[in-house]
Amino acid sequence: MTVQEKIEGASAAVVTALSLVDVRAVDEALGRQPLDRLHFGNEFCETLLPSPGHVAAAIAAAERRGLGFALVTPMLSDGTLERLRPLLPMLPDGAEVIANDWGTLHLLRRAHPRLVPVAGRLMCKMVKDPRLPSAEWARLYPHGIHSRAFGKLLASLGVARIEMDVPPFAAAADFRSRTMRVSVHAPYGYSVKGRACRIGSLHQPDGEKFSTGHRCRKECLTYVADLSRPTTGTVDLATFQRGNTVFYRHSPAMTSVVQEALAQGWIDRIIVSGDWNENRCAHQ
Amino acid sequence: MKIVAPISSPDEVVPLAEAGADEFYCGIVPREWSERFNNSGVNRRIFGNLSTFEQLSTAIEQAHRRERSVSLVLNAPHYSEEHMVALLELSARFADLGGDALIVGDAGLLALLAEEGPHIRLHVSSLLACRNAEAAAFYGGLGARRVIFPRDVTLAEMAGVAAANPDLEFEAFVLNDGCVFEEGTCHTIHLPGRLGGPICLDRYGNSYARADGAKLSAAESEALAANDARYEEWLWYRFGCGFSVTEEGYPFGPCGLCAVPEMAEHRLSAIKIAGREAALPRKLKSVEMVRRVRDAMAAGGDAVSLARGIRRRPDLCDSGYMCYYREVLTRPAPTL
Repeated sequence: MTVQEKIEGASAAVVTALSLVDVRAVDEALGRQPLDRLHFGNEFCETLLPSPGHVAAAIAAAERRGLGFALVTPMLSDGTLERLRPLLPMLPDGAEVIANDWGTLHLLRRAHPRLVPVAGRLMCKMVKDPRLPSAEWARLYPHGIHSRAFGKLLASLGVARIEMDVPPFAAAADFRSRTMRVSVHAPYGYSVKGRACRIGSLHQPDGEKFSTGHRCRKECLTYVADLSRPTTGTVDLATFQRGNTVFYRHSPAMTSVVQEALAQGWIDRIIVSGDWNENRCAHQ
Repeated sequence: MKIVAPISSPDEVVPLAEAGADEFYCGIVPREWSERFNNSGVNRRIFGNLSTFEQLSTAIEQAHRRERSVSLVLNAPHYSEEHMVALLELSARFADLGGDALIVGDAGLLALLAEEGPHIRLHVSSLLACRNAEAAAFYGGLGARRVIFPRDVTLAEMAGVAAANPDLEFEAFVLNDGCVFEEGTCHTIHLPGRLGGPICLDRYGNSYARADGAKLSAAESEALAANDARYEEWLWYRFGCGFSVTEEGYPFGPCGLCAVPEMAEHRLSAIKIAGREAALPRKLKSVEMVRRVRDAMAAGGDAVSLARGIRRRPDLCDSGYMCYYREVLTRPAPTL
């Protein structure tokens, strides 16, 4: 399935970005379909913050193909923030940094004005439970991604673009912003993420498994887990776990909502999951 | 170091204060909110809330009479614009009643309260997942006075953030909150049991595959199954060792008691007991445990040994699976 087929209905005006975590996938993935941008890195785990060498390789690959570039960063502890600092000067002028915590945005605003800060999907919070039986449940906690207060706060940090997931029972208006440009991830959303990692504990001694900040061998690059549960009389979205995070696959209804928002011009960029998904080589 | 305890009724203030609590936090879902929005989304808990401003006023009065403070939780994962406007009004009313601080879980709301809300202390909820010094500085710049760390941080990380932000107060979890995932990045709902309950307690089965498409070897399958067995065991600890208590009523489960001395060294000013919806006896026993450890520290005693021995189940402590701050187990072993 190509990127375009995954987007299903994106107009020519929409920018297509491919997100990749593993540097080994870059050349193969970028060679297979027309793209506008490469987003390199991972939002969900500090261990997956790329090395300087991998960032350099990804930037070079993007430049060879004339693609825009973004470095994707997770929620960061100070230790990983220190690992991020030397990566930022490597980025070309105007490169985007997808930030997923307020500290990263604060740092970018304070010290790296030549880079373009983007609020990642971990910052754009909304109910995304793949088990919800109806839209009524999601309405218990309506999101405020397009609220005046949130927009003003982001603007104070120089943020003009946000990245959103498509929540279950989404409406096209979920993506309509008065002040921000909106990117949307497809065809998967994330539901919940931990810091203690089940698969990342695979090779750890029992006493060190599932602890905060434990070591790992990046087993998430090798294994993916399909999740299923006994029936409750409702229909779940297809669900899987990659690394420390549970994801769901968009339903046809959700894809239709994205198409509607694209047609309205409320979304101007689709970010397609390249190698961080449920199946083998889904970037192909 | 202040002991921060949850209340779900004004009647809990006096006994918990007498047990050793220094600060209280509570939620409220007033009838006008439910009627207006048809939900309980003032905060993240459907249960364990006060329901009237009269109750809130009584709780504040009782606490102040004993020189304790009361914080109000506004810690839903996110709020719509309409909710935020209503929360400005609710916060003003809380301040008028003499309330002491607001615990805020939404960055937009935090900024809004700092600009347009009542003159009252603002505390950053663990929902905002402050994990680095830059984020703490950012929240401080917005007007926050205290940052409550999320559960999934290490003692060293807390120490670094606190040292870099000497003008801020910091608070950390010490007992009872058993979430498996990070609350700041959990976008699920605690569904009724018939629909699966909390997602981390739902009966999901795992089917592993290799991302490169190759078939799992027998050795891989065996290792994955063994890891999953340990994960199930960890879940049992994480959820209160089967939601059990000692003969004295001390709750098992997520715990940072033996890290309290180290947290004090790192300039944390408060430690939090989770569980607003819990029954009063559980809250009392939780406060009692924390107070005993703090008293031992104050008396110059071996607080770490006391903490590890307080439930008289060193085997459960030694597993590390009950620990918020498991790195403490790597420190020299105490003499029990």
